[in-house]
Amino acid sequence: MRWQLDRMTWAGAVVGLTMAASLAAPARAADQVILGAVLPLTGSSATVGEDQRRGIELAVEYINSRGGVLGKSLKVIIEDSGGRAASAIDAATKLASVDKVPVIIGEYSSGITIPMGQYLVRQGVVHINPGSSSPKVRDIGEYSFSVMGLDDLAGRFTADKIFKQGFRKAVFLAPNNAYGEGVTTQVAKAFTALGGTVVGTVLYTEGQSTYRRELEQLAKAAPDVYVYTAYGQESAVINREAFELGLNKTPWFGIYLTMCTSDSAPETVRGQTGIEVNYIGPDGGWYKKLYEDKYHQPFTTTFSGYTFDAVNIAVAAIKKANSTDPAAIRDALKQVAASYVGVTGPLAMDGQRQRAHQPFLSVKYVDKAVETIN
Amino acid sequence: MIGFLIDMLLRANDLALLAVGLSLVYSLVSFPNVAHVQYAASGAFAAWAIADRGVPLWLAIVLSMALTSIAAVVLHRAIFDRLIRSGPPVAMIGSLAVAMIAVSGFLAIFGSRPRRLPLAMEAPTMVAGAPVTPLALWTLSGTALLLAGLTMLLYFTPFGRALRALAANRTLTAACGIDPKRLADAVCALSGAFAALGGIIIAASKQTYVLLGSDLLLPVFAAAIVGGLRNPLGAFGGALIIAFGETLMTNLDVGAALGRQSWFLPLGYLPAASFSLIAIILLWRPEGLFTRKTRSV
Repeated sequence: MRWQLDRMTWAGAVVGLTMAASLAAPARAADQVILGAVLPLTGSSATVGEDQRRGIELAVEYINSRGGVLGKSLKVIIEDSGGRAASAIDAATKLASVDKVPVIIGEYSSGITIPMGQYLVRQGVVHINPGSSSPKVRDIGEYSFSVMGLDDLAGRFTADKIFKQGFRKAVFLAPNNAYGEGVTTQVAKAFTALGGTVVGTVLYTEGQSTYRRELEQLAKAAPDVYVYTAYGQESAVINREAFELGLNKTPWFGIYLTMCTSDSAPETVRGQTGIEVNYIGPDGGWYKKLYEDKYHQPFTTTFSGYTFDAVNIAVAAIKKANSTDPAAIRDALKQVAASYVGVTGPLAMDGQRQRAHQPFLSVKYVDKAVETIN
Repeated sequence: MIGFLIDMLLRANDLALLAVGLSLVYSLVSFPNVAHVQYAASGAFAAWAIADRGVPLWLAIVLSMALTSIAAVVLHRAIFDRLIRSGPPVAMIGSLAVAMIAVSGFLAIFGSRPRRLPLAMEAPTMVAGAPVTPLALWTLSGTALLLAGLTMLLYFTPFGRALRALAANRTLTAACGIDPKRLADAVCALSGAFAALGGIIIAASKQTYVLLGSDLLLPVFAAAIVGGLRNPLGAFGGALIIAFGETLMTNLDVGAALGRQSWFLPLGYLPAASFSLIAIILLWRPEGLFTRKTRSV
């Protein structure tokens, strides 16, 4: 009898808690529109992840100070991916099934964005890619949009800049994932077409404590330029070891240079040139000021404007759809995206929901910051 | 050639102190302690955390080694020594559990961001055409000194004699009035300190991160096994062989054979390549390279 009473008590408690939880959720949702984001707040891209988070924070403040969305205030729940695909999908699952958000923004690394996006497409949740550039992002699916141009656009620009600096024998170093594979293929194709030679390519395994061996293999090819792209803290190790091996006497060229230099010791990357996405569009100067006023420092990477635009374009679509239903947002997003101008410039998405025009910059690392050069 | 030798020594340096410590403990307690490599991670993290609070680096290193020694003894007494009574497989699974808890602990305390000891960046000096940093020379000579010290301890002191005797014949040695428990404590402390220093060397020249210990597990065990478990100095030889295999596979240019300018083995296949080498060695000498079947003390 006593056992039964205990069971009854437990059952009662469970029912009570479930009811309390189900009552609490709609009460929160009634006066808020909630979106989700999955960002690399920890792990090797943490510095970029923090900048992406700032872009979202600024966008939420910006939108709420202008009356919010559909008469409600906007909230973005941000989850950490830890820089791992499995954790990113766990986080996306939580956002989709517990928080029931209609739109999820994320991640950064193409190797994580692609599986996470594929998962979201299957769940019927709108996915906005704010920072991955692998050409394979194009194939994620009907619910997936990119506010950043993919590497088929970056390849020719990058190869052109390398060639114009007078380099003819290049080696490539990039992460062994969808991004690294895509970008090295695209740049190599364009560089060879110009008349340059690629004398070595190493795709490194992410998350190692040393890349000395990779560097030594590349050095054997005696290149006249090291073309590389690596995530923040992996890049820090690569740059330090290149310095310790004396390889920095040969010029280094970084693809997405702020990502490569964000965590590196300044003396190891001084003088490196590279390319960057143009992070401020023709009408985006006010955003730069907004960022600097709030965080009291210049942009640490070039990626905050893209999450800012991602939140804004999602809100524009929700307003146009006058609904928070994912399918309605997706349809509205296709219309909005065609002509939307963000702080990073016109987003002008193509028929495959990818940003069609991505302006790039030629940049150089000078004294703890990246500057634009010609 | 000199460059090859330096690379090999640097890699052996990452593994040697850990493999020697692992072998030392194995010779006494006869179970493969999977958690041993985690002492490297805890030593590296502890040194970083202490140095980060403004303590001079040398003191942080000494303190970290001391703390790791204590942790190794406590874990041995509280967990491994009890589990070993149920047999080596049980003790090994127990040590695996300890290793997993340790990794989660590092993640909770230090987060996933890698850390490097506060050392200035140094440009390399060229030694016979190969770049070497002063730090690399320091750590190499440090390891050499420690291993020389261990050799002296093992072969020229009563402690070492007792240790080798115990490893050879436990019952007989205990009957001679040597206390195995006290000896086990000393060996655990010593191997803990060695492992901590091994981790600190990696944290100084590369960086420390949550999976530092786990990533060392296979190469360190391979070094100890190839060298012949129970023979600490053999483990050093094992570390040299693993390092030789890995460096060879990295530097082998098979471009000519493939009719290309140059082609290297993609580094993702490196573990498979070097472990094939180990498999061959073990097929040839299952007891390890540096173990005699009969031993005298």
